[in-house]
Parts: sequence; structure tokens; C-alpha cells
Amino acid sequence: MIARAKESRTADLFAAAPALSPSRAATVPRAPATPQVPVRARNRPLWYAAVFPQLPTTEPSTECLCRLARHAQRFTSFVSLEPPAALLLEIRGSLRLFGTAAALQARIDAGWADIGVPVQSAAAPSPLAALWFARSGGRTPIEDPAALAGCLAQLPIACTAWEPQRLARLRAIGVTRLGDLLRLPRAGLARRFGTGILTDLDAALARAPAPRRAFVPRERFHERCDFDAEIDRVATLVRALEPLVGRCARFLRERQAGVQRLQLCLRHRAAPATRLTLGFADVTGDPRRLREVLAERLSRLELAAPVRAALLRSAALAPLPAGSLDAFGGAAGRDGAAQLIERLRARFGENAVYGVSAVAEHRPEAASRRVHELRAGHAPAAAGGGAGEGVSRPVWLLPEPAFLAPRAAPAGDWRLEHGPERIESGWWDGAGIARDYYIARRTQGARLWVFQERRSGHWYLHGVFA
Amino acid sequence: MESASLAELLADARVWKLKDASAALPRPVWPTGRQALDARLPGGGWPTASLIEVLIAEHGLGEVQLFLPALVACQREAAGEAPWLVWIAPPHEPYAPALAQQGLDLRRFLVVRPPSAIEALWAAEQALGSGACAAVFLWLKGTDERWLRRLKLAAEEGGALGVLVRPERHRFESSPACLRLSMTRDERALHLELLKVRGGCPGSVDLELR
Repeated sequence: MIARAKESRTADLFAAAPALSPSRAATVPRAPATPQVPVRARNRPLWYAAVFPQLPTTEPSTECLCRLARHAQRFTSFVSLEPPAALLLEIRGSLRLFGTAAALQARIDAGWADIGVPVQSAAAPSPLAALWFARSGGRTPIEDPAALAGCLAQLPIACTAWEPQRLARLRAIGVTRLGDLLRLPRAGLARRFGTGILTDLDAALARAPAPRRAFVPRERFHERCDFDAEIDRVATLVRALEPLVGRCARFLRERQAGVQRLQLCLRHRAAPATRLTLGFADVTGDPRRLREVLAERLSRLELAAPVRAALLRSAALAPLPAGSLDAFGGAAGRDGAAQLIERLRARFGENAVYGVSAVAEHRPEAASRRVHELRAGHAPAAAGGGAGEGVSRPVWLLPEPAFLAPRAAPAGDWRLEHGPERIESGWWDGAGIARDYYIARRTQGARLWVFQERRSGHWYLHGVFA
Repeated sequence: MESASLAELLADARVWKLKDASAALPRPVWPTGRQALDARLPGGGWPTASLIEVLIAEHGLGEVQLFLPALVACQREAAGEAPWLVWIAPPHEPYAPALAQQGLDLRRFLVVRPPSAIEALWAAEQALGSGACAAVFLWLKGTDERWLRRLKLAAEEGGALGVLVRPERHRFESSPACLRLSMTRDERALHLELLKVRGGCPGSVDLELR
């Protein structure tokens, strides 16, 4: 009732609005209860806030709030979480479908009642105002920003949920309602309580923007498949899992998303469950690739016991990389490499398939490292990594220098051909080296990279030129 | 493939034509970077989409150096993304600074360490047939001819160069590789003995050391 009165009063403030409204009302049939809302107000966002007073605040409540947010997504595309126990919905865009703001609010409230969640709700042109109204018990919607100040003035300051010290200090100077606060001079308020309080008030009065982050549901594929009979052979298992993989691929395709990791859990009657991870070279949702990697991964598996049920769950979904389709069907090139890598990895494990990358470092053993992120496109290797241009380096490096001969001059079936190149580095981290490197040749012809340790004088083999 | 015409079938690399075996090969070749060697190979370079067998008595004779110029050139000259190089079961750890110094694009370089020789052959077959790799190197101690034939077919299907490095003792075994060479080295030169050259003549080549 109060809201209706306020709206009709504020409509007079906008001279252009009454002239426009009758002609529109004549041509466009609208719901009879539509109040006359000024044109400018029609384009402003309208926020619906729901405060759930009985939401458990002890356990991580965001999980609970996310579930409620998913429930609220049927009314609007923009839902924002307000931890610990509130949601904000932007409902201006939904009014055309649901009729008036009051009708929509009633409809959303009925939705909460259906799932048995007590709620206090309000709708206002600014998110903060809606939230404050909802906290103070809820009310009918206010659509006109000009009416905000008057309505907010009656709220107790506790509904702002500011920190207790600030509220106590406000009460100490005699401020109990927001109206008292709005009457105070801004400069003094800012000096005493900081500018944060003004920012909040401006945002609540829709004078300053207060952007909110949209809630994006984190979806995962998570499905279970019970088999009619226990399966004890891998080949049968692969075939039995095919519908499950197909469903997963369909789930991904419907969301235009892909995954880089899937987890498969095989349940047995007596033995503990077998857990497998399927890794892909890049984000994919291609059913053929999912099936291929699954088959490859299972082929390595020794079934501990017959399988009763399987559970497939995806990691977080990722957007599919944009790719162009080949007009002539054959899409070999780039896809081929990713598929090859994931097939090899599914069979041999992650660690057996890798790239190498040069590191700018003088110590030979630290100048090269394995790279397991193959599609990430790590930085192009710096030439030589500490070695100058004219210095040749062996293609093979032994993981550990192999002992060749004690301190005496080189003997046996190898002799020095080129050198020395002194490498002395790394004293700062305790793994320092002081070596004279030579290129040596064996009598059969192999070229070796050997060094004499300067402290002990012993000879070691460190690499092979191939 | 049911409706493939005869011309299409003949264009397939797997079909070997007796009549014009010695004529210029339609397949592209990669110049080896050594004129003396290019002159001995049909087409003037390493044949692609085929299997090459290198026999060595020990590692470190320069067996990788022999192919590196061709590999670098093929990565540089590729249109679009550089093709991948795959090394399967190398005898030691590939040393990145040396490869980068030679000009290889290490972002397109893959090392695979399979647990057994059979698995290594499987990996090589997959890599050769994938169509994403320019060259696949495989270090093996021993295998049988059936597997080599499979590798050769995979190489021809995927258009990749397969290089199989094996010990010298396999010299007298039959092999489906289209180029077999045995390698020795002394102070002055690298000696290549071409045991089998499809479309060319066997013989030996001496390459100066650089």
C-alpha cells in the first residue's frame, strides 16, 4: 500500500512520463495491475534480495547458497551470491515475462516456500537497498529510485550489517535509523567514520554503481552405471562403459564445454574400489577421444575383482578451444598430435611422455629439464642455455656423471681431442661444480663429453655426442 | 576406399610400382645437408614416408647429427604449425641446450620412454601413423621383421620418416626398410655403408667431419 502511494507521488516528478504512458497503454495490452512507472525507472536495474535467516552459518554455507542460487536461476539469468546468507537477483529483465515486480516477487517467494526455506525478501533499484530491506524483514518492491531515500530512512541501522564497533559508535551519537544518518553532513560523517560509510549510502540510494558478480554454476558430470551382471573381463567392461561415456560426451556437448580430466571409479563386491584418472592432452568433449583414451587406459588395467558398478565424474568443465572445421573432412594435423600424446600417456603414464626445455644455467646437469605440459607452448628455448655459440654440447647427457678413471692422465681406450672448457659455477646454492670439460674420442669412434673434477682430479663421463 | 580409382590407388605410397622404381620418386625428400650423400640417394635426400634403418656398433658416432639438418629444415619450412619430432626409447636423456643450439623447435619435440621393446614398437607405430609427426626416431636392441613391416606401413600411411637405430649385429637380417645404412667413424671421416637403397645403388660414402 505504501509503495503504491509513493510511486504515484513520484510519477509526478517526471513530466514526460504521463504524456507517454496513455498512448502506449492503448496499443500494447498489458497486465491490468501495472502501476505507472516512469520511463527512466523502467530501464534501471531492479534488484530482488532474499535473506535466509535460518541458513546454517556454521558449516560452509556457500555450498547451500549455491544450491539456492541454482534454484533462483529459473527467474533471472543474473544471480549473485551474498554470503553468508543472502542472494541478489536482477529482475528488471524478467518483468516482461512475469508481469509486475510485485507479482514476480510473490512468485519467487512462493518458490522458496515450495522448497521449505524461510525467507525475507525485498526488491529495490539498488542491490544494497534491496538487501537492507530484506534484512529488516522484507517489504513490497520499490521501483523508483527517488522513493528510495524516504523508505530507507525508516530502517534501523542494524540492517546494514556494518561491523559492531561502527554501529555502536553511531548509536552513541544518537543515530538509530538510517534517516538520522542521511540527515548528517557528509563531510563530518566521512571524517568520523571513514569514506566507506558514504560509499555504502550512495550505493544504497542508487547514486553510485554497486556492481555484483554473477553466479556461474560449477557443473560436473557425475553419473553412475550399475551393471546387470558382474563384469570380469576388460574387453567387456570397455563395451559396457560405452553408454556412460556417450552420456558424458552429450553432457559436455550440451554445455559447449570440455574436460581435461575424467575420473573413473570401478566398484567391486568385496575389494576396495579401483580409481582411474583419464587425462587428455587438451580440453576435449569428443566422444571418440573419450572412448579411445578410456579403452587404452583400461587395457593396462588388471581387474582386481569383478566390477559391479562404475562411476564417471568429470573435473571442472572448461570452455572448448575454438577450432575451425576442415572443409574437406580430414582434420589430421593439430588434432593428431594431441590425440597421439594422450594415447601414449594413457598407455605409458604421464611421466613417460615428455618434452625437454633448455634452461639458462651454466651447470650442464641443470641446463636441461623435462617438460610435462606439452600443449602449453612453453617459452622457446634459449640457445645453448649458458653455453656460448661456438661451444658444442652433446646430444645425450648422462643423468649422473659416470666415473671413468682416477686422477692420472687419461688412459685406456679413449683420448682427449678438444678442450678444456672450464665450467665453475653454482657455489651459491651448495651444489657448486668446478670442472674442466673435454671432448674425447674412443678408439671405435664414439665422441664423448668428459670432465676432470678440479678438486679431486678424477675423470668422469658426462655426455655422448651422437 | 571402396570407390577409389586405379589412379588413386597407384598414388598411394604403399603401392610399389616395379616399372618406374628407379625413376624420380613422386614423394618429397629432405636434403641431408651433405652433397656427397645427397648424390647417392634417389631423389637427392632422405626419403620421407618411409623407414630408414641405421646400424651402429655403439652410440655416439654421430647418428643423430646425420639427420639433424634435415629435421631442422623440415620444422622451419613447414607451413603452419611445425610438425612434431618424436624420440622413442633414446639410450640417454636428450640434452636440450644441444638440440636448441642446432635449431630444433623444442616445443614440438617429444620423448617417449615405454617400459618394453614391444611397447616401444607400438608407440612408434602410433606416432608414425598419426600424421602429426615429421619424424620418429626409435632406438631398439632387437625386433622381428613383422614389426618392422608394420612400422613401414605406418610410416607410409602417416607420411612420416621413421628412423630405426639398431646395433650392428642385425646387419645380415632381412629388413623391409627402404634405406639401410651402417655407420663407422675414424679420426678423419664418417663412413656410411649403404646396405640397401630402394631405387638406388648400394655402396659406401665417406663424409668429412665438421
